[in-house]
Amino acid sequence: MKRSKMMLVLFVMIAIIAAGCTNNNSSPSATNESKEKPTETAAPVDNAQAGAKEAPAFAALVKDGKLPKLEDRMPVAADIKIEEVVDEIGQYGGEWKMPWNGPSDKWGVGQPTEEALFRFNKEGNKVEPNVAKGYEVNDDSTVFTIHLREGMKWSDGVPFTTEDVIFYWEHMLKKETFGKKIYDAYYSVDPVSGDRALAEVKKVDDYTFTVTHKYPSVQFLERVAIDNKWFFAPKHFHETILPEFVGDAKTLEITKSWGYEDPKVFLVETGYYDWLHKEIPTIRAWMPTTDPNSDQFVMERNPYFWKTDSEGKQLPYIDRLVATKIQDPSQKVLGTLAGDYNLVVFGANDFTVLKENEKKGDYRIIPWTQPAWSSAGIQLNQTTPDPNLRKLFQDIRFREALSIGVNRVEISEIVTNGLGEPIQASVPEGVMGYQEGWKDQWTEFNPERANQILDELGLTKRDKDNFRLNADGSELTLTIIESSTDTAAFLELLKKYFEDMGLKTNLKVVDGGTHFDMKYANQIPITTENISVANVAFRPDAIVPLRVITPWFGHYGLYTQSGGKEGVKPEGDIALILENWEKIKASKTQEEIDQYSNEIIKLHMKNQWVIGYAGPTPTLIAASNSIHNIPTDMVWADEYRSLGQGHPSQFFIKQ
Amino acid sequence: MLQYIIRRILLVIPVVMFISFVVFYIIQLPPGDYVSSYSATMSAAGDVMTQVEMDEMRSNLGLDRPVYEQYLVWVKKIVLHGDFGFSFNYNKPVLAVVKQYMGLTLVVSIVTMVFQYVVAIPIGIYTAVKQYSAGDYFFSGISFIGMATPNFLLAIILMFLSYTWFGDPLLGLFSNEYVNAPWSWDKAVDLMKHMVIPVIVIGLASTADLIRVMRGQMLDELNKPNVVTARAKGLSETRILLKYPTRAALNPIVSTIGWSLSSIFTGSTITAIVLNLPIQGPVMYNALLGQDMYLAGSWLLFMALLTVLGTLISDILLAWLDPKIRTEFRGN
Repeated sequence: MKRSKMMLVLFVMIAIIAAGCTNNNSSPSATNESKEKPTETAAPVDNAQAGAKEAPAFAALVKDGKLPKLEDRMPVAADIKIEEVVDEIGQYGGEWKMPWNGPSDKWGVGQPTEEALFRFNKEGNKVEPNVAKGYEVNDDSTVFTIHLREGMKWSDGVPFTTEDVIFYWEHMLKKETFGKKIYDAYYSVDPVSGDRALAEVKKVDDYTFTVTHKYPSVQFLERVAIDNKWFFAPKHFHETILPEFVGDAKTLEITKSWGYEDPKVFLVETGYYDWLHKEIPTIRAWMPTTDPNSDQFVMERNPYFWKTDSEGKQLPYIDRLVATKIQDPSQKVLGTLAGDYNLVVFGANDFTVLKENEKKGDYRIIPWTQPAWSSAGIQLNQTTPDPNLRKLFQDIRFREALSIGVNRVEISEIVTNGLGEPIQASVPEGVMGYQEGWKDQWTEFNPERANQILDELGLTKRDKDNFRLNADGSELTLTIIESSTDTAAFLELLKKYFEDMGLKTNLKVVDGGTHFDMKYANQIPITTENISVANVAFRPDAIVPLRVITPWFGHYGLYTQSGGKEGVKPEGDIALILENWEKIKASKTQEEIDQYSNEIIKLHMKNQWVIGYAGPTPTLIAASNSIHNIPTDMVWADEYRSLGQGHPSQFFIKQ
Repeated sequence: MLQYIIRRILLVIPVVMFISFVVFYIIQLPPGDYVSSYSATMSAAGDVMTQVEMDEMRSNLGLDRPVYEQYLVWVKKIVLHGDFGFSFNYNKPVLAVVKQYMGLTLVVSIVTMVFQYVVAIPIGIYTAVKQYSAGDYFFSGISFIGMATPNFLLAIILMFLSYTWFGDPLLGLFSNEYVNAPWSWDKAVDLMKHMVIPVIVIGLASTADLIRVMRGQMLDELNKPNVVTARAKGLSETRILLKYPTRAALNPIVSTIGWSLSSIFTGSTITAIVLNLPIQGPVMYNALLGQDMYLAGSWLLFMALLTVLGTLISDILLAWLDPKIRTEFRGN
């Protein structure tokens, strides 16, 4: 009897919950009608802000006495950085809404908000002062005098002075507290003896310091702008956490209180990835306000930002940057179509779906060119361990055969929607190192000639499936190892063409970490990786074998890196590349640097170690039609800080 | 029965120990470790680490030590301090990560579960009572489709419909403006709005399953002599239905409730990724992908523990519900 009562109670409960649940189910249609987007926190002073020199929110705080006056927050008038607007003077307000992969994608919010000491100009061939006000160089490029902005402040109101640079140099960079070695930029090389000497950094006054090199370092500023844009750190913050100042025990205690386990990891997070932590003062246009591990990372405008537009209005125009965490790249597309995000960066493969919905989604697509050599191509590891393969890969005729045996037009149409031209991997026009005629080298589709070359190479024997065997009768298989399935369409086509030539081709996909490990262990014979070099002299990793990183030069890089102890000794043209690189490092003038850089590129043109089947595709910026001042004719490169090159502090949202 | 329960609980300890070791070993199996997957991600973003930096990071994280040593350290910390280790991805203790996602995971799972029972049990009863009626065919058809459709596909379809009809794919559990907002009535409404799709998607397969089970059980029970007798005595049809066959038919459903324990705490994974839900499933998936081993290990351990506990609970529930089983215990 008792139990039957229990069953009844259970049933009644279920009934009640059911009633409640059906209620919930009917609610979306009701709420959808009203579509209550809760108070967009539109500025109360709406268009009265025409003459305002600061954001309405700050004006209100100043009025209440909670924030110093604008003049007291900015550098002295002569030292304010005036940011040129792209189209028009903007208005305050709005949010930059972007999808974000979470804290593992540190640079996704890091790059566009970065403020470098020196940044690259629009063309990308020179640097211009940014955080620095200006600089002087002596005649033999050994002493660089750098001026800072008087009255400039960190986001907590503490003055930004030479002390912050010296502190960073002496106590962080030289002590290597944040997991990075002292950057190459700070070493100068004696052209004769090859001696490497570390620069000296000296304070002159509160707003001036000098960097003195032992030997000429013509490209010092450019290299700093690549290696170490943030040549400064908030002294008043780091003094309170570095073991040098507070002792190891205290640092450990602080580490734990921040929720970290290991002080070294903690110091990397705070010393290097400092833009993710709201506790750390910044000089960026926006400063973090939430925990980056939460579902939304929000950066609010920095009241002490030191730039204005030409009318003297303090930047940034946009109130805050809201990065919403996504778990799958398709959510980026979907969210953009739905208008959840208003400024999003895409690769070329999303072009069709974005373009189709451009009107409906009320956004526009702005293509930025990439300094990439190709968008679909392969790299043959020149030091691959298998002697037969190595011999083939090192043979220029083999590379020619692989190049002409593939129909580029088809690859361009199928893989890149026709966005990438059917050309060879080459330096694109307009980028430093462009060579006339390179893009057409070995591009004509000619399977007969390709087969003829392979026969000449001695690959005449065939197995029962009609695949070519090595000259010694052993099996010949080209294994392409990939770290993602993004290139599946391209590789499927490639496999078809290679096998048409009688070359057995295997595709293997492994996860990113494994791919990385295999690269270090020289276990990747072939992979797709596109070379992207804005300027050889600035960042040579992709085309000069200095360390293990780019698949085509494999363990030649290890040889240089280990000083000849390990790896494969570079010979022939590879050795020539390295010679030219040494000459660049010891150059005294820009002309010399350009000349040797060009030599390196020419060696690449001659040898075509990297084979491309479709030209570079642009990076696509999908920007809501209400966002203005986004430049349209820029180069997208990591060296230029990707979107940061468009100077986001002057982007604005028209209300 | 108490003795039985105690014996079962004691048996749990070696099982969990064994599982924890297997779990840890399996996580170590794939090539590479957290540092290699981390440096691969960073180099994709143009931030290249040198070999020296990688080695240093490994030793900072203790990844250069042998597997058994890492395991022992991990277990020691769990037993002595209740410390499940540190998540490399999140730079937080594992427990903090788990706690961050637990609230919403429980909300989604429990609502889904309630949805399942509330929908499935009445429909199951209805389809059995009205066997071979139009309604029966309709619901049976739906439940077969529900069982056969992969969740994530349904999620994509519903998102697409929601986007084309309302212009909002209802991704995630909150609209943008509410994610970091403090709890309020509006936020709760927003959450409910966003829960509709996940609840339907995650719940559909098991709902369909439950309908089938309930219908089959009811059909078995409907013509039992006790039901016929009750009817002959002139009891009302509803009363008969609820008092006898339904109660008996609930038996297999109750006995499986315990098993859903682990799914309540993890939530779904693939569907959650597709729908961008901030719940445990995707967190664990990423931990496994990124070789964030303490987080992944702790999760697998929790899941194993919950499965073991769930089975125990099921057994106890069953004994409580079904006199026959209880008698068997006593018979010992």
